[in-house]
Amino acid sequence: MSLKKFSELFGDLDSINSTNNKIEVLKRYFLSNEPINNSWAIYLLTGKNNKRFISGRYLKNLFSQIYEYPQWLIDTCYLKVGDSAEVITLLLKNKTTSRNKKLSNISLNELLSKTIPELSKLNEEEKNLRIKKIWETLPEDYHLIFNKILTGTFRVGVSIGLITKSISKLINIDEEIISHRLMGNFKPSIDSYDFVINKNINLEELNSKPFPFLLANNFEDKIFKNSINDFQFEWKYDGIRMQLIKRSGNVSLWTRGQELVNESFPELVDKMSYIKDDFVLDGELLVWDFKEQIAFDFSLLQKRINRKSPTRSIQIKYPIIFIAYDLLEINGRDIREIKLENRRIELEKYYSKWQNKNKNNITDIFRICDLIYPKDWSDTLTFKEKSRENNTEGLIIKNKRSPYTSGRKKGIWWKYKVDPMQLDAVLIYAKGGSGRRAGLYTDYSFALWKDQELIKFASAYSGLTNIEIKELDKWIRKNTIEKFGPVRSLKPEMVFEISFEKIQISKRHKSGIAVRFPRITKWRKDKKISDADSLENAYELMKKIS
Amino acid sequence: MRTKQKYLIRYKDGNLYCELADVWIDPNKPVKKALITHAHFDHFTFGCEEYISTKETAILLKERVGDNIKIKTFEYGEEFKINGIKISFHPSGHILGSSQIRFIFAEEKWLISGDFKLQKDETCQQYEIVKTDYLISECTFGLPIFKWDESNKIANDISKWINNSPGKASLLFCYSLGKAQRLLREISQTNFKGTIYSHGSIYKMNNCYKELGIDIKDTIKIENKKKIDELKGSLILLPPSLSKGSYLKNFKNIQTAFASGWMSIRALRKRSGYDKGFAISDHADWDGILKAVNKSEAKNVFFHHGDSEALSKYLVEKKSINVLFFDR
Repeated sequence: MSLKKFSELFGDLDSINSTNNKIEVLKRYFLSNEPINNSWAIYLLTGKNNKRFISGRYLKNLFSQIYEYPQWLIDTCYLKVGDSAEVITLLLKNKTTSRNKKLSNISLNELLSKTIPELSKLNEEEKNLRIKKIWETLPEDYHLIFNKILTGTFRVGVSIGLITKSISKLINIDEEIISHRLMGNFKPSIDSYDFVINKNINLEELNSKPFPFLLANNFEDKIFKNSINDFQFEWKYDGIRMQLIKRSGNVSLWTRGQELVNESFPELVDKMSYIKDDFVLDGELLVWDFKEQIAFDFSLLQKRINRKSPTRSIQIKYPIIFIAYDLLEINGRDIREIKLENRRIELEKYYSKWQNKNKNNITDIFRICDLIYPKDWSDTLTFKEKSRENNTEGLIIKNKRSPYTSGRKKGIWWKYKVDPMQLDAVLIYAKGGSGRRAGLYTDYSFALWKDQELIKFASAYSGLTNIEIKELDKWIRKNTIEKFGPVRSLKPEMVFEISFEKIQISKRHKSGIAVRFPRITKWRKDKKISDADSLENAYELMKKIS
Repeated sequence: MRTKQKYLIRYKDGNLYCELADVWIDPNKPVKKALITHAHFDHFTFGCEEYISTKETAILLKERVGDNIKIKTFEYGEEFKINGIKISFHPSGHILGSSQIRFIFAEEKWLISGDFKLQKDETCQQYEIVKTDYLISECTFGLPIFKWDESNKIANDISKWINNSPGKASLLFCYSLGKAQRLLREISQTNFKGTIYSHGSIYKMNNCYKELGIDIKDTIKIENKKKIDELKGSLILLPPSLSKGSYLKNFKNIQTAFASGWMSIRALRKRSGYDKGFAISDHADWDGILKAVNKSEAKNVFFHHGDSEALSKYLVEKKSINVLFFDR
C-alpha cells in the first residue's frame, strides 16, 4: 500500500470540520489498509512521534544549498507560512525535475521504519544527498508528510479521543478499553495494531498500563443548587498528574501525557516497591517543601521532569512527593466503578496500613491528599482564596457518588480555580506567529511603568478573538517603530489587561518579576497608556500574596 | 537606486499618474481622466469625468455600476494619443477585458502590467508579451512559495470534492467577476455533471461573459428559499462576502470552499473558516512574475501591490534588472 492513502487521509482530516465525518474517514482508512501501516498511522495521528530527525533550520539550509535559493528568501517565506516543512514543500513544487518517481509506491511502514531512520546513520554529506534523492523521487503529493515527519512536526486536527472513538466503532468495543490499549509507549508493529483491534478483551495484557484519567471540568454555578454534603473537596495542586501503579510487584509511574517516567523519579519507584499490596493510585507529583509542608513552585518540578536518572544531590535538592487523590485498583480488583466516597475509605484504610507495616517511612515521599470541609458554599470561597497561601491553584470539587470514568465527563469533577491576578500593561513588541497563526502578528510583549520608562514584564500569545487578532495585526503594521527580524517594536499606545496565576521575583528579567500563565483578558481600548500599571503595583501584588 | 529624475509615470496621492498626459491609472478617487485596466472594484471609483478602457471592461463596468458613466473604449493594440503620448491596451490575461497599458513618449516605452497572469484561461484573452523600457508590475504573489497548479487539475479536485459528498450542497466561494466564470468553464469539463447555481452577482457577470462571446455553462440563479433537497449534490457559486453573516443559514447540510491563491498556505486555509481551499488565482505566481519581467525586456522595473520587498531584493541580488522604487 503506497503512501498515497495516508497522504489523502491527512488531507481529508485537515479539511473536515465535523467530528463524525472525521471518524468515518478514519474507519474507512483502517479498513482499507494493512495492520502495519495502520499501526504507523495511529502512531503518527496520536502524536506519539515527537522525534525530530532533522531540524527545520537544517532542512531550510539544505534546500538553499541544493537549489541555490538565498537563505533570506526562504526565511521571508517562512514568515508567511509558519512551518519549515511546509515552506520547503511549497518551494519544492515543480523543482524536482527527475521523472523517476521510484518512491511512488513506498509504504508508510517503509518510510517510517526504514527510509527515515536510516538517515540518522549517515554522515552529513551522505544524508544531504539522500534527502535530495528522496525529494526528487518521491511524488510531490507526499512531500509535506515526508518533511513533517523528518522535522518531527507532523500534526493534524485529530485528538487521541477521536482515534479511540473510531477504533472503538470499528470493532465495537468500549472506548475505555481502546483508550487503555492506546496508552503508554505504543510501538508500531503488526502485533501492536492487532492488539489494539483485538475483539477479545484480555486483562492480563493491560497489566502495566494506566487507566484513562478522569479530568475535572471548569466550575459551574449550578453546583450551588446541590447540598454541600454531596461533594468531596480537595486542594488543586500545581504539579504533574500521574498514576502510580504497582502490579505483580512492578511499579510504574505514568503521566497524563501517557509517558512512563520511572527513570526520572527513581526514589519514588524504589520506596513504593516495598509495599506488599498491588495498587493503582491517581495523584499528583510535586516538589515538596517539607519545612512549610506545602508544594514548591512548579518551576522547581521542571528541573526534575526532563532529567533522567537524577543524581542523589538533585534528589535531595528537589525532594519530590506523590500525593494520592484516589485508589482505582487494589490487589487486582478494579474498583473504579464504586462510589468515590467508598474509594476514599479504601484509600485511607490502605494508607494507614502501609504506614504501619513499613519499616522505612513512606510518608516522606508518599501521602494521600487532605480533604477540606467547607461548612457551606460561601465557605468554599474562603477556602479557595486561601489557596494562594499554600501554593495551590484552588479547589477540586468531586461528586461523592461518582465512579472513576475516563475523559472530561460532565457533572462529576470540577476545578474551582482561584481568580487570576491582573495588571493593565502596554503593548510594546509584536512577533509573527507560527503554524495556524502564520503571517499575523500574534506574539505580544507587554510593559509596565517604572518612573517614565516602560519595562517589559510579560509575553502573551492567547486571549484575543480571531477578529481582534486581525484588527490588532493591522494596527501593528501601521504603528511599527522598528523591525528586528520577525519582531517589531511598536508605538506605545495600546493597553491590555493581562491575567496570570503567579507572580514572583526573578533575577533573569529586567523587570525583576516573573509571572506564570500570562494571558490577555481584555483589550482596554478605554485606557490611555498613562492609565497602565507600574512595576510598583506588581510588587505590591506580590507582597499581598506572600 | 532612488533618483530625483522625473519619470513619465509616478505615484501621486497613492495612485499611478502620468503628468504629461494628465491621466490616472485605476485611481481610487475621482479625477478628470482615468485609464481603467479591468472591471474589479478595487481598480475603479465613481465620479471621474472620463473613463478610458477596453470595450469588454466598459461593458462589464456598466453592468456593475450602471450606464451613467462617460467611458471611451479602444481595441487591444489600438494606439491613441493624449497630449502627444501614445497609449495602447494589451491583454493581461487576468479577467475578460483586462489589460496592460503601454505608454510611449519620445521613444521611451512604459508598461503598466495591471493585474495579470500567464496561465491559460479560456474565459479571457491570453496575456500578451509587450516589450518595454520601464515596467510597473503587480506582485500580489511575489514569493516563491506561490506556484499554481494547472487550472484543470484544480477543477478536477473541485469536481471530486463535490462528487464525494452527494448528500450535501457544495458552496464554492469565489470572486464574482472573472474567477467564477473561469471556474464554471473549467468545472464543466470535469466529471461533475450536476446542477450549478450561482448568486445574483455572479449570474449577472455570467450573462455579460456570454454576451461577449465566452462559452460558459448555464447556471440557475440561486433563490433564497430553495428547497434543501434540490440542492443536494449540486454546486453553488457565491461571492466571498456572503461567507460570513447570516446568509449561510439559508442552507442546511453544506460543505464550503474558497477558491483563491492564498489557499495554497495551510495556515491561511485553516484560518479562513472554510472547509476546504482551492489554490487557483488570476494573478501571476512567482515564476509568472519573473517570466513576465524577463520577457518584457524591461531594463527597469517597479513593483506595487503586494510583498514587493522580497521580489525586489531577489532581482537586485541577481543583477538581472534594475529595480526602482517610487517616491510616495
